[in-house]
Amino acid sequence: MVGFLARRLFYCAVLVVMTASTALLLTRVAPGDMTTSLRAFPTTREINEERARFALDRPFAVQWGNWAASAIRFDFGESSRYRRPVGPLVLQAAGNTGVLAIGALLVATVAGVGLGIVTGSQSGLTSGLIRTASIGAVSLPSLLTSLALLFVAARTGWFPTGSMTSADATNAVNHWADVARHLPVPVLALALPVAAAFERLQSAALAEQLRQPFVLAAAARGVSPRRLVLRHAWPVSVKAITGVYGIAAGSLLSGSFAVEIVTAWPGLGRLTLEALQARDIYLVAGCAAVGAAVLSAGMLLGDVLLALSDPRTSDVR
Amino acid sequence: MSIRPSFRFAGVLVSLVVVAALWLFWRSPSPPTSALDHVAPAHGGQLTAGIRADPKSFNSLVAFDEPSVIVSSLLQARLARINRATFELEPWLAETWEMTPDGRKYTLHLRRGITWSDGVPLTSADVLFTFRAVTDKRVESPLADSLVVAGKPIDVSAPDDRTVVLTFPAPSGPGIRLLDTLPILPKHKLEGALADGTFRTSWLTTTAPSDIVGAGPFVLKSYVTGQRVVLSRNERYWRKSADGMNLPFIDELILEIVPEQTAGMVRLESGNLDLLQSELRPDDVASALKAEARGKLKVIELGVGTDADAFWFCLKPEARTKDRRFAFVQRREFRQALSHAVDREEFAQIVFLDAAVPIWGPVTPGNKTWFSPNVRRYPPDLDKARALLRDIGLEDRNGNGIVEAADGTEARFTVVTQKGIASYERGTALLKERAAMIGVQLDVAPLEAGVMIQKMMASDYEAIYMRPLMTDLDPAGNMDMWLSSGGAHFWNLSQATPATEWEKQIDDIMRTQAATVDRMRREELFNQVQQIFADNLPVLYFAAPRLYYAHSTRVTGVMPSVLRPPVLWNADSLGVTAPPRAN
Repeated sequence: MVGFLARRLFYCAVLVVMTASTALLLTRVAPGDMTTSLRAFPTTREINEERARFALDRPFAVQWGNWAASAIRFDFGESSRYRRPVGPLVLQAAGNTGVLAIGALLVATVAGVGLGIVTGSQSGLTSGLIRTASIGAVSLPSLLTSLALLFVAARTGWFPTGSMTSADATNAVNHWADVARHLPVPVLALALPVAAAFERLQSAALAEQLRQPFVLAAAARGVSPRRLVLRHAWPVSVKAITGVYGIAAGSLLSGSFAVEIVTAWPGLGRLTLEALQARDIYLVAGCAAVGAAVLSAGMLLGDVLLALSDPRTSDVR
Repeated sequence: MSIRPSFRFAGVLVSLVVVAALWLFWRSPSPPTSALDHVAPAHGGQLTAGIRADPKSFNSLVAFDEPSVIVSSLLQARLARINRATFELEPWLAETWEMTPDGRKYTLHLRRGITWSDGVPLTSADVLFTFRAVTDKRVESPLADSLVVAGKPIDVSAPDDRTVVLTFPAPSGPGIRLLDTLPILPKHKLEGALADGTFRTSWLTTTAPSDIVGAGPFVLKSYVTGQRVVLSRNERYWRKSADGMNLPFIDELILEIVPEQTAGMVRLESGNLDLLQSELRPDDVASALKAEARGKLKVIELGVGTDADAFWFCLKPEARTKDRRFAFVQRREFRQALSHAVDREEFAQIVFLDAAVPIWGPVTPGNKTWFSPNVRRYPPDLDKARALLRDIGLEDRNGNGIVEAADGTEARFTVVTQKGIASYERGTALLKERAAMIGVQLDVAPLEAGVMIQKMMASDYEAIYMRPLMTDLDPAGNMDMWLSSGGAHFWNLSQATPATEWEKQIDDIMRTQAATVDRMRREELFNQVQQIFADNLPVLYFAAPRLYYAHSTRVTGVMPSVLRPPVLWNADSLGVTAPPRAN
């Protein structure tokens, strides 16, 4: 297991470096740069000064070399949009997205797995409704889901309609209670498609296990249907979910772009989008690095869970 | 054998929750309607406004993104201010001023007893310091160019603590109107930074709020990245209302960062926001009016906007040396033909959903002082448009629906525009349709804003459809657009010498009017410029939007303006009548 973890961590590090460097290169070669958001019709002097400030007047190899040398010391450059060091900006945003992603993953797991057990083990009206809702939720884009939820929150006043905190949350206890109060809309918007996907996977996997001889044998021994599903078939079927946990983490990250913009959640998705629009080269690279790290962590978590539920997988890898 | 455990209870529970939620959703009450137009603002309360992005910096001499400018206008004060409702210059930190008859020397007298928000007296030394900072090369302030007249900087001196003398190197038409853009900064806080060369990086958004001192109506209380800027009332603010009450009325102004405009509208209608940063999009007006009918919002018509969507071809000869189409694009008849092809009434109806007025030049009726209605107009006339094209040798010789020159060069162009803006999409679609009627093919390429701007600045495009923003209502404040050598002369940027005779004419007249002090004479001269522009049509304008703004019904003291920010420019006079809905 230690060797397995070490290998995976090495791959993660390579992925982070490659992704950040590629993001730097692509932002550099893409049309437009940060000077286009300086102001309407900046002077040539202003443009040249801004480009020099962010090393756009030097060859890419030199710029990358300087950036990489600083990045090793955890200095990821300065953001042209925020006029602040990239590191703290990205870490703060990643933390905020982390809160959102963990909440969404929990909701998606509990709802998806729970409903998948229902639909995988029976075929009544309830199952039909859940199945239909799942297909709808999988097909809905996050942008639409978040706008719809925002509209419901605005109309009913049940939940705050945006941001991560209120202006009047002062101390730490208040702060976290306040964050929790702001979570439902973005968490639901982010969790719905993932929960629906989990439900579909869990349902299919459970239905398949329920047809296996060991389940039929247990049923023949008089084990109750509920116990058969929850104690015998489900633990075997859960592999279908753990196998895609890493991919789910990735989809949460990409889904957070739209959700964080609509719900004004100050997270990594929103920061990345803003950085891309502003061609904020070092911020894009920083966001890409953290995004890759989060994705790697998700994949690693998925692999570890899979390895724990099926030890053969860690040997193979 | 059937294995079917019962989850009926779960199904029933889910159904009950859904039904209850739907019932509660539809019976949610609307906030009470109140007619607050005549309610006088009272002290106290909290007002929440939405802004689209984080401010870049609290240093108002270096940051010019819209959020930074808004925050700066709330924290800092100018010597004189342009009233956004009347467009007139009014005394601000300077209580009075005198001008010499030749318009070159202004003596300004600061108000007595004004202090910075930390209690330190505000004196003429602070004004001198601000002028020194803005013209310091290391600060790289974009404002520096605006304080240069006839190529030379304005001389500033201070005979005593309350008097500032500005000596212009040449007569200046706008005179001290340019002071509206210059916030006065505290010498005692920033002198050290200017001396050691760190002024540019002073007062970043990471600076402790207590270190940021101003003479504006509010002081910075806190800033949370990506979420909000919280401002509280400046207890030492100098201004009083007409009935002698201390301003500002409100205790706290919260600027919530809401990056998505639709989400901003939802939050405004729900009562979580009281104001938005900018006017309504044309597509949002109808829903805002419905919300007003339900008593949730108050919608006001700001008037005709001072900026309008424009369409132009790249007229830079150097950029089009190998382009045979340039032979006819540079002919005014070609552009006049396109202008005749468009029905501006229809344009206003379709592109701006009927909330616009037809225009024929860059100065709209929204700019009441400088708009000239007597410029050449181009009524919709397809026959005349085709005749104009024939006159310059453009005819559909091969019957493919596109006109060609004698050498076979087709009148076919790619029009770049910014993607994601509904009015641009409708505008380019209509323009394409109308141009096709006279045989001119326009292929529309929506691009990301940054890419489009870079193409424009590099003159790497064939045609553009977008809304170029005027930086000033006074034409002398937009010399970089009018002069052929200007960096914002967007159809042919930064010319070494005027490319055409009519551009040379405009250059000469604009220089004269910028150096003329007599207002009537300036208007006459600028009318001539507008006439020359409309005759030659380097840029085609079709309609100027009527602007609408929506705010919460609990806000009082609103003085709307077509300029941005439409309401927050007068934030010290805004009040609230009821607590906000909990967020």
